[in-house]
Amino acid sequence: MIQIPCPYCGLRNANEFASTGEVKPRPDVATATPAVWRAYLYDHRNPEGLVTEGWYHRAGCRKFLVVERHTQTNEIRSARPAGVAS
Amino acid sequence: MAEPAATFLAEAVHHQWTAFPELSNLCYVHGRPAGSPAATVTVPVRPERAELRVWEGIEMVKVGRAQVWRRTSGAAAPHRYSAASLVRHGLTHEPWPRVWRQVPLRPAYDAVIVGAGIHGLATAYHLAKDHGITKVAVVDRGYVGGGNSGRNTAIVRSNYLTPEGVRFYDRSVKLYEALSAELNFNVMFEQRGHLTLAHNDSSLRTMVWRAEVNKLVGVDSSVIGPEEIKRLVPYLDTSTETRYPILGALYHPPGGTIRHDAVNWGYARAADALGVEIHQGVEVLAISTTGDRVRGVVTSAGEIATPIVVNCTAGHASLLCDMVGVSTPVVTHPLQAAVTEPVKAFLSAVVVSGSLHVYVSQTDRGELVFGASTDPYASYSTRGSLEFTEELASHVLALMPGISKIRLLRQWAGLCDMTPDFSPIMGITPVEGFLLDVGWGTYGFKAGPASGEAMATLVATGKTPELIAAFDLARFAEGRLVGEKGAASVGH
Amino acid sequence: MRPVARRATPTSGRLGPRPGEVIDRARPLRFTFDGRPYLAYEGDTIVSALLAAGESVFSRSFKYHRPRGVLSATFFDPNCTVQVGEEPNVRGAHRRVRNGDVVSAQNVWPSLRYDVKAANQAVGRFLSAGFYYKTFIKPEPLWPAYQQVLKRFAAGGVVGADDPHGYYDHRYAHVDVVVAGGGPAGIAAALGAAEAGAAVLLVEEEPHLGGHLRYGGPEALRLLGELRQELADAKGIEVLTDSVATGRYDGNWIAVHQRSVPGATERLVKVRAGALVVAAGLIERPYVFAGNDLPGVMLSTAAARLVNLYAVRPGTRAVVLSANAEGDAVAALLAAAGVEVAATLDARRAETVVAARGHGHLSSVETSQGRVVEADLLVTATGWTAPTSLLNMAGVRPTYDEAAARFVVGAEPSPGVFATGGLVGDASPEGLVAHGRAVGARAAAAAGCGKGAVLPELSPGPHPALFRSTTHGFVDYSEDVSSKDVFQAAAEGYDSPELAKRYTTATMGPSQGKLELVNFLGVLAEATGRSIGELGTTTWRPPYAPVSLGALAGRPHEPVRYSPIQPYHEAMGAKPLVAAQWIRPDHYGDPDAEVRRVREAVGLIDVTPLGKLLLVGKDTPALLNQLYVNKWSALRVGAVRYGVMCAEDGVVFDDGVCGRLGEDRYLMSTTSSGAGAVWEWVERWLQTAGRHLDVYVTPLTTAYASINVAGPASRTLLSRLVEGVDLAPEAFPYMAVREGSVAGVERCVLWRIGFTGELSYELHVPAGYGLFVWESLLDAGSDLGVGPFGIEAQRIMRLEKGHLIVGQDTDGLTQALGAGLDWLVKLDKADFVGKPELVWQANREDYDRLVALVPTDERTVPPEASQLLGIDGDIVGRITSSRHSPTLRHPICLARLAHHLATPGTVVRIHLPDGRDVPARVAETLAAYDSEGVKLRA
Repeated sequence: MIQIPCPYCGLRNANEFASTGEVKPRPDVATATPAVWRAYLYDHRNPEGLVTEGWYHRAGCRKFLVVERHTQTNEIRSARPAGVAS
Repeated sequence: MAEPAATFLAEAVHHQWTAFPELSNLCYVHGRPAGSPAATVTVPVRPERAELRVWEGIEMVKVGRAQVWRRTSGAAAPHRYSAASLVRHGLTHEPWPRVWRQVPLRPAYDAVIVGAGIHGLATAYHLAKDHGITKVAVVDRGYVGGGNSGRNTAIVRSNYLTPEGVRFYDRSVKLYEALSAELNFNVMFEQRGHLTLAHNDSSLRTMVWRAEVNKLVGVDSSVIGPEEIKRLVPYLDTSTETRYPILGALYHPPGGTIRHDAVNWGYARAADALGVEIHQGVEVLAISTTGDRVRGVVTSAGEIATPIVVNCTAGHASLLCDMVGVSTPVVTHPLQAAVTEPVKAFLSAVVVSGSLHVYVSQTDRGELVFGASTDPYASYSTRGSLEFTEELASHVLALMPGISKIRLLRQWAGLCDMTPDFSPIMGITPVEGFLLDVGWGTYGFKAGPASGEAMATLVATGKTPELIAAFDLARFAEGRLVGEKGAASVGH
Repeated sequence: MRPVARRATPTSGRLGPRPGEVIDRARPLRFTFDGRPYLAYEGDTIVSALLAAGESVFSRSFKYHRPRGVLSATFFDPNCTVQVGEEPNVRGAHRRVRNGDVVSAQNVWPSLRYDVKAANQAVGRFLSAGFYYKTFIKPEPLWPAYQQVLKRFAAGGVVGADDPHGYYDHRYAHVDVVVAGGGPAGIAAALGAAEAGAAVLLVEEEPHLGGHLRYGGPEALRLLGELRQELADAKGIEVLTDSVATGRYDGNWIAVHQRSVPGATERLVKVRAGALVVAAGLIERPYVFAGNDLPGVMLSTAAARLVNLYAVRPGTRAVVLSANAEGDAVAALLAAAGVEVAATLDARRAETVVAARGHGHLSSVETSQGRVVEADLLVTATGWTAPTSLLNMAGVRPTYDEAAARFVVGAEPSPGVFATGGLVGDASPEGLVAHGRAVGARAAAAAGCGKGAVLPELSPGPHPALFRSTTHGFVDYSEDVSSKDVFQAAAEGYDSPELAKRYTTATMGPSQGKLELVNFLGVLAEATGRSIGELGTTTWRPPYAPVSLGALAGRPHEPVRYSPIQPYHEAMGAKPLVAAQWIRPDHYGDPDAEVRRVREAVGLIDVTPLGKLLLVGKDTPALLNQLYVNKWSALRVGAVRYGVMCAEDGVVFDDGVCGRLGEDRYLMSTTSSGAGAVWEWVERWLQTAGRHLDVYVTPLTTAYASINVAGPASRTLLSRLVEGVDLAPEAFPYMAVREGSVAGVERCVLWRIGFTGELSYELHVPAGYGLFVWESLLDAGSDLGVGPFGIEAQRIMRLEKGHLIVGQDTDGLTQALGAGLDWLVKLDKADFVGKPELVWQANREDYDRLVALVPTDERTVPPEASQLLGIDGDIVGRITSSRHSPTLRHPICLARLAHHLATPGTVVRIHLPDGRDVPARVAETLAAYDSEGVKLRA
């Protein structure tokens, strides 16, 4: 079972967390067209490689994290709190 | 004997056709249109056209006339499988011919289908059979049926939620029912009945919704209560003392299981016989375009010129789309499955529990085959996890407490391309000639035959068939999602 | 088909005491096999005891029902699977006899000896691999009929619907090093790691440590004794026997299955290891030739185990085919044990077996030199297979060593994963020990303990490549796949390992390829003219050894959540409603009467599962404005507002009321099923885009018991118990919130809201006092006719008021305007979650609407999810909520309906599940009862 290096709690089993999916920048609500908005809602990069995604430490510190993970090896490059700039 | 072959068309479904080409230069066709007395129709043919073949179970158009299809390519005649030929080979030890040829890659094709799984092979088959387009290559970086088509739990059903979905999967079920005869390959479709259990009000309401939509579209489904569920599956705990008591179930008699490898091999053999080329071990490295149209494909075995590329790479759809810059909502999640040692038959129906996230069926050999939800995070790994088997076992035993001593033998995984509305993505893209048959999530194998038929029509005619119109890629940008989440078994 | 006769003179029997025997002759046991009584000694396996008694046939094969005897005498012996009591598929060559065991053969009818299905053998040539694909194509009904026959033939034991559930346990372990395999190399690895200070878990499949040393000669036993002593003296090593490391997952997460544990049926140990050392040894390969599955044909390691561990003489007159030193040693062992060794064939000099013959048991062996030797025992020693499963699971690809004729791995094939012993190479027992010790130290270092050690050389020695003789024989015993089948598959084009495997089903049986894979590859290589290296191999998947569902499930842990008022509900016999993890009272016997009570007097409902979030901070209005579709900035202290949250796609996500308790204090309520999700939603916003907002969130869902007091007499009732709050309607209007005490309990929150449509107050009481306040209310209001009402009554009443339930009257695609919430959505806000989609929705007309429907026939209550049909019979909507209203005395429904039909007054067709169609009229308002809300505002 993969482990997530929570910046607050340390290395914890992934079943303490929930994955929240790829991190995508939210378009400007005032100017976004339907195509742009729905690309934000639905489209995914879905790489076979490194992805930047969200994890939520549901059974731990309850912090939202941004994690860089390799989708084939599950190696985790980095994990930071979601509110902190990378 | 020198007359030209006559052309007939015959009444719809459930004809029994048998051809005995080896008897003489004549091809005898026995036709029995549904609802009418038995009739024998003789189709005299010229000697040089002696290699005729008649396919069974096709829905046709008019009354009283039979279609005789004629093969146009130079491919070798497929050896016909039957009990008689089995006996003959057993007695003579004559070798069986190859299921599909091994031929070198040609420099150009009318269409290249990427992915030799059920979708790709069915598309190729229908292109050749329905439209006479045979200069087609199906390429796969692995072996035939080695992707999701060889890893699924082989459940076939049409008890979906939306009318579009039900109509589509029903078409597939009908094609499956006739497939063994159509392909001359026993695909072992057993329509043993399919049960989706509801453990709370909300779920039961969804079962009623599905049953009602099914019935209105003409598909056999109904909601049944605990007593009848117990009769169908005696090993289920239907008491009210369990943690999640069973309130009812969606019962779908036409649903069942099939031998997935046989379907893959059957389509491959039949397509090959019609002239389609199957190239295993050939990986697509790039797709070349001029402006916004497809020009060819660069593979590990050389370059191919082609105007049409069909993406049938379940599990890796995004990677191929990236080659032409087509963006899709697909996100890939592993879907794990497991099988046990064989035990004596005790389970005839396929049983699914949405709330307990598990489904189970028993093979003819006595093994239990299990599936559950997709892994909760995106991944391209098919390694499998221990927590999958733990949760699976825990939920299966909650449903059937008596079977704790059965041992799990093997677990594996496939890769599911999930879409936001749990419906597939089929049809054209902004890149001309690049077609999609992807986004099949956890429901792709049951859809193979209908997808192949529809995609072939699209490739051949350039027009998207009505049956798949709602599943277009543009629906996401246009906010027209087709909501099947409630019926996609336990995928989410 | 002739029955398999019981031999007049048994070929096998018990020997005198052996130095390494594991049986205790002082403890005899009794068991039965197929109804006949047998004796065993403690330590005997089922098969060793039966062999000692002269039995030699233990099963019938899957397809052809050929009689089978012992082959490998290990857990993975494909021929020794039996039913023991209620337990199916027991490995008879591994399972130790327990007194009283009732053992029976599987897959036979009527009996092991007279198996009718052996008729399959006569038609064997027609039942070649994949024969079923080529037939039963037409007429179609024959295939299902044949499937019923196939099912009767299915191999495998029996389970009953009500078989008792054993006690299965789970355990977590965190160690530095897991060593999988307790042979000489594995024991040494454990010792090496422990010396370096590592915490070690040593796992061994057999009931005793030692691996092949256990059934070796005096030197092997001596070395084993030394190792055992060292192990006993070492610190930090936990040993699990009769256990197997069956899966290695990401991050060295390792599953260890303990097959026997004192006090439990089985246990699953889940280990997070710093490093894994795989010391699984080598598995001896069978040889493929005609008759290789006859009882009496076995592996050299089987013979050695039987003689040395169980003191069983496996035959009286033997032929030995040997390609290695171990085989030579077994020939000598047999001779010393009193078996007449009639011939030894040296495979290194190209002498080999062409065929084994006999009926039901071996009686003669034909050699490559043309001799026919009478024998009842044929022992083969033709090569080894490395069980590299755990390493494959770690992503390691073993390489095929041509000279050694087996797959091998390096000692350090992947970070955190190590290998030693036969998997890596060949050496004397001392050499294996030296390598193991060093690998153990290096594994410990990788786990952060000690400084490691220098790795000695270890590589495989040369061995002839022997897979198939000149005749065809079985490649997969449990699937009845012969080498001829593999040739046929290749000729037909199923010529890669995966295709050939799937077509023939070779390696798909219970041992999953351990005894079959390399022979299968060897034969396939022969058939396709390629080398094993070129062919590649099939994928090893977990589990390495089969694990019971019970062990995987462990003990059930399904939490149930009850409100503090639950004892009252149970005492009153409330019908329980399972609402996700909560158990709630559905009703107390008569929901219609409960409705009447609320509409006419006063009732109490326990709504504790309602989500409650306390929001504190000056920026709370900004947060509310962002997450709800409506406006919150002007909400005054003491006021309550209804809000709806949407997701970014405009789909309705949750609803509830939110009240301002103080300057910077708000209490938000959510639906009970959405409590967790909304809390996460709020937190997500506050930790990302809203991180500059000064708001703190505290979930109070279970901190408060929540009671809704509803009915015209509710104010009167509360006035008797509430202190610190002016209940007069002008002072405490509809949609207001106050704090005070109820029944003497301080710090309760009260708000006036109205899901049921009557004058009502929702009390949030500190949870510990929930039951007390509930009972106090019932006591205080007995003259008012107060009583409880449940979820069903609440559903009826909210439906009478046309209040939607998110997730029932909306679905995963319903955007806010389609839920009748136009009046709530404030599109002039600069931003809120869901705004863009709702702006576009507002510009369209064609979305489904939420309407109230009144069926024309008052006696028909359409079931929920009944479909609505248009003129052409197309589906235009569905009933989402439906009840008979005891208040209005007619059925009432909410429905989703296509926009063009959603005008009040339109008559639509409801299609009932029983097939009838009934008309219904679209109502003016969603509320059928008191649409002006007069009673709410009393």
